[in-house]
Amino acid sequence: MYIIGENIHIISEKVKEALANRDAKFFQDLAVRQVEAGAQALDLNLGPRKKDGEEVFPWMVDAVEAVVDVPLSFDSTNLLGIEAGLKKVTKAQPIINSTSAEPERLEKVPLLAKQYNARLIALTMGTSGIPIAADERVNIAVETLIPRMMEIDYPMENLIIDPLVLTVSGCQEYCPHLIEAVRTLQYAWDPPPNISVGLSNVSNAVPNENRPLINRVYGAMLMGVGLQMMIANPMDIEQQETIRIIEERDESTAVGRLYLKIADRIAAMEEPQFDDVDPSDPEQMAIWKTVQILLNKVIYADGYLNQ
Amino acid sequence: MPIEIPKDKWPGSVRQVVLGATAAEGGTRTSKVVVGGETCMPFMHFEGAIPNRPVVALEIRDRRPDDWSPLLVKTWENVIDDPAAWAKAAEEVGADAIQLTLSLTDSAGQPMSPETAVATVKAVLQASGLPLIVFGPGQSEVDNLLLVAVAEATKGERLALGICEDKNYRTIVATAMANDHVITARSPMDVNLAKQLNILISDMGLPLDRVIMDPTTGALGYGIEYGYSVMERLRLAALQGDAMTQLPMLVTPGYEAWKTKESKVGEGVPESWGDWLQRAINWETMTAIALLEAGANILVLRHPESLKQVEAAIQDLMTAPDMVSV
Repeated sequence: MYIIGENIHIISEKVKEALANRDAKFFQDLAVRQVEAGAQALDLNLGPRKKDGEEVFPWMVDAVEAVVDVPLSFDSTNLLGIEAGLKKVTKAQPIINSTSAEPERLEKVPLLAKQYNARLIALTMGTSGIPIAADERVNIAVETLIPRMMEIDYPMENLIIDPLVLTVSGCQEYCPHLIEAVRTLQYAWDPPPNISVGLSNVSNAVPNENRPLINRVYGAMLMGVGLQMMIANPMDIEQQETIRIIEERDESTAVGRLYLKIADRIAAMEEPQFDDVDPSDPEQMAIWKTVQILLNKVIYADGYLNQ
Repeated sequence: MPIEIPKDKWPGSVRQVVLGATAAEGGTRTSKVVVGGETCMPFMHFEGAIPNRPVVALEIRDRRPDDWSPLLVKTWENVIDDPAAWAKAAEEVGADAIQLTLSLTDSAGQPMSPETAVATVKAVLQASGLPLIVFGPGQSEVDNLLLVAVAEATKGERLALGICEDKNYRTIVATAMANDHVITARSPMDVNLAKQLNILISDMGLPLDRVIMDPTTGALGYGIEYGYSVMERLRLAALQGDAMTQLPMLVTPGYEAWKTKESKVGEGVPESWGDWLQRAINWETMTAIALLEAGANILVLRHPESLKQVEAAIQDLMTAPDMVSV
């Protein structure tokens, strides 16, 4: 699993404060810790930075590249800011996060990616928003995103399609469709396009104590359909362990066997079965209940684990 | 050519909830209503059982309302200053239950006291033998104050008490448990929040056969499609076996419909809108029937003519010919 570390994100109060103070040490520490935890790239979500993007992005590149060598992902809508950052990059091939299928963004962002030889995350979202149905999202990729890349002769191996994870708390019906979108997108082109998702989005608006469980169960389900790249929290140790179990097919623990079974069932286009679970083990029951809400079989509620 | 009608078979069912207790059961009601129990989507008689028909309650107030349409005020003019007489009148025009809403202030503008609220509820119980649903004014602190007093003074009557929301459910659930009442749990048009509130209430130990949920709905032309979808999803989940959604639903189309422009405004609207009273009644009736189709078990209305029309629709829907044998 190729993990783009998500932790430098403006939504965090600490990040906001450190950015206001131009506290390079804070970001260097956060960058190093993510890479040590297994991140292979780092997302830099600094918000639109309309006023100072052209100063902030290069500053951030300097700060982070002083301590890590991994690719940096510019997560912003501010193209001038992104471009200023791209000019500063000296280490790995950067990533632009993101374009969508909206005409204006699709016109400009891929050209910028091509000019700076950056990889490009492209969202399956058009002017009318994010479709629920898996095949509609695949259609956006095949009919709009990929043709635009061909049109400007952008190297397909640099394209990363993001079919968009939405939260189980409020957009529950999207959750199973996203799994199918990841499955189908791999057949959308030859060679198969790179696919990435923002995993933690699945638990937005969920109480903090339940977020990691929902994230790692969804991660296991998505690995079942072949996901190999995601923007996620690399410092979530249990999530990393779940990824390892599935990658290494480690059957040494009961919970590990359940995660493998879930991934295998999803891979085979089957639904996980209650027979796969040992009901006497609370951890397995929690995983089972989480699968049920992520497949939209049971309506999500904050207290779903207590039901 | 024979046509096979596809049928769904559902593993779950809606819980049955009883409102009102007769003398034999420790109350004073002369009738009670039983709602819920269905094992199929609304009126899909060929797929399952609908053991109890939906019921219609009429809303009355503890005093002359300040914000009701003049059409409604005119209709109830003779009884509008006397909740007991109003309840009796509602029973006479055919309501299955009475829904009494307590006001924030009395007619002199003073905060409603628990003593006055209790006296009003007792007078209504005296005047009509129908099951009674009592709503507070809708501000959680005042609701708690008034409803606890009402619940204690009417122990055993099996009233439905509302409005129980995430902010104040603890107090109302506790008093319902202590005094053998039912509660209505209201959530703001959201399946996740509706279910969460039911989980919280259930965690307190109130048996779920004493909970009715009010998912809130909107009126025809004003977001009813969202309300409809929420109710439909909750009902589908219930039939699929999700215990925390298997509750009968109470909705308030009277309240919703009578605040729309179409019902409220009689002048300065296009002539093609037609007769004001007819339009207002149609609005309330159509809102109610849409919600009926979405799975409502208790409909709270305001106008007697709407009540008549909705009761007739329920009659038709409950006796629809067996589709399979047609």
